[in-house]
Amino acid sequence: MSVDLATKSLLHDKLRFFITVSGVAFAVTLVFVQVGLFLGLMDNASLTIDQIDADLWVTSRNTPNVDFAHAFPETYVKRVRSTPGVARADNLIVWFMNVNLPSGAIEGTEVYALESFAHWNFPQGVVEGDLADLRRGPYMVLDDSAKKRWGHFAPGDYREVLGRRLKIIGRTVDAKSFTTTPLTFMDYRLAQSLNESDLRGNTTYILVKLAPGADAEAVRAEITKRLPYNDVFTKREWAERSRTYWIDSTGLGLNMYITVFLGCLVGIVVVAQTLYTSTMEHIREFGTVKAIGGGNGDIYRILGKQAMIAAIAGFALGALQAFALRPVMAKIDLKLIIPMELYVLVLLGAIALCLSAAVISFRKVATIDPALVFRT
Amino acid sequence: MSILHTRRVEKSFQEGRETISVLRGIDFNVERGEIVSLEGPSGSGKTTFLSILGCILTPTSGEVVIEGNAVSEKSLADIRKRSLGFVFQQFNLFPSLTAIENVEYALNVKGLRNKDARIEAQRVIEAVGLGDRQNFLPRDLSGGQKQRVAIARALAGTAPILLADEPTANLDSQVGTQVLEMFRALAKQENRALVIVTHDPKVRTIADRVVKIQDGALV
Repeated sequence: MSVDLATKSLLHDKLRFFITVSGVAFAVTLVFVQVGLFLGLMDNASLTIDQIDADLWVTSRNTPNVDFAHAFPETYVKRVRSTPGVARADNLIVWFMNVNLPSGAIEGTEVYALESFAHWNFPQGVVEGDLADLRRGPYMVLDDSAKKRWGHFAPGDYREVLGRRLKIIGRTVDAKSFTTTPLTFMDYRLAQSLNESDLRGNTTYILVKLAPGADAEAVRAEITKRLPYNDVFTKREWAERSRTYWIDSTGLGLNMYITVFLGCLVGIVVVAQTLYTSTMEHIREFGTVKAIGGGNGDIYRILGKQAMIAAIAGFALGALQAFALRPVMAKIDLKLIIPMELYVLVLLGAIALCLSAAVISFRKVATIDPALVFRT
Repeated sequence: MSILHTRRVEKSFQEGRETISVLRGIDFNVERGEIVSLEGPSGSGKTTFLSILGCILTPTSGEVVIEGNAVSEKSLADIRKRSLGFVFQQFNLFPSLTAIENVEYALNVKGLRNKDARIEAQRVIEAVGLGDRQNFLPRDLSGGQKQRVAIARALAGTAPILLADEPTANLDSQVGTQVLEMFRALAKQENRALVIVTHDPKVRTIADRVVKIQDGALV
């Protein structure tokens, strides 16, 4: 094994090493938190679409996202059901309603109403109660996220929705929308009866399950033909459309890109500055490397390795910080989603960032005059 | 046969519009195993000449021949690696490496690696009497010990020419003498040529020949 001058020299000045690693870790944490929050919000934006076991969604024309639904005649579902290749089609109502709380306050809820939740495997996080019971009366199931805004509730309690007392018969967890409005689940007919002016005889979506082996594009084309004033999306398209709406309309995407850019910029400046200062302080050593027969390549390898070590150590520290922030974020209802691909991408990014920062030092090293070793 | 010789070496630098001539046609040669003391007052051009002998600078005109090969711009680093060992006034040790690692790293740069490098480093570090200090960092060594490490680094490998720039300047008189005697013994023992640039009159006592330089020319 050869003497590892790069590592030993880097670790020799521990404070400088810590500053370099902190710079990288800062950038890495910022990228993880920003992108993780963004993915978390986007996950909420299409969470219900992802959970509902439908292959196609029929919506009113130009519906921008799953939350902002518009009503259309519920009888359209019959045209869909009779379309070849359709195994099942049901109406789904998604509608915002007001809830009168015992405190006198009025809060909003986003209602998801189906005739049979079980057929669509939705919602998935039921922790108390049975969704099948929703059909038996004026009942509702609430998501626990409502507790933050509505105060404590439990099955057996009543809440007034659009002036009508409904009994809470169950609870779910992690059923969320991008709007942060708490989700409520109830029977389809009950939802219609709560807002007759908008929903009587109307639905907001038709969920479609394809028959085994059916060609999704052919079925979509046929439904589009039968319902010329509606839109038909595949599950993936509809989820993407819902997410894109929030990215475009809120500037969330731009905000994320700017913060990630600034994080990387700060990281690159810190690393470049510390590497360059370190290079200048070790200039005599690099001159010695040249004097004893080494070339620029030997010094580039030293600087490159130091940059790599800083990148990997900074990545590890940054990733650890981001990981530690997850439960903290969860406490304030923010979801930090960090997929494995992001870990790999950020690690590669950190290495690229540090190597680019080292380029400034490379340029300095190329001009080192080995004769400086004779100077006192 | 000389292992190193120069023919009509001249060196000038441009300073603004003025050309300053530092070396004026130096003819010089050193035999294998010979110890030469190169003396001269400050500004006489001795360090510039040493830089040219050490293939760190190229002459403006003239020729430098090392081990029978004329030095060219392209061959500088290769000749430094293969044929030369340096000892500097400021020691120029790597502060993050131990004494033995300083020597071993120089061998790595010269292309010797792994166990071979460690064995050779061990040999020279013991030859300079630092076997018991081999794992000390430079900051934990005295000036004389640092210079011994620097000498060990120059001796490591098979470079036939050793060049030393004021090797005793930062040492007290007694330690300087010890270092010089040890340096001479080792150079002679391994039949290496040694050129020492110095102000120190003690160097004369170990040199086979004294060469004086003044105003860029040998006198």
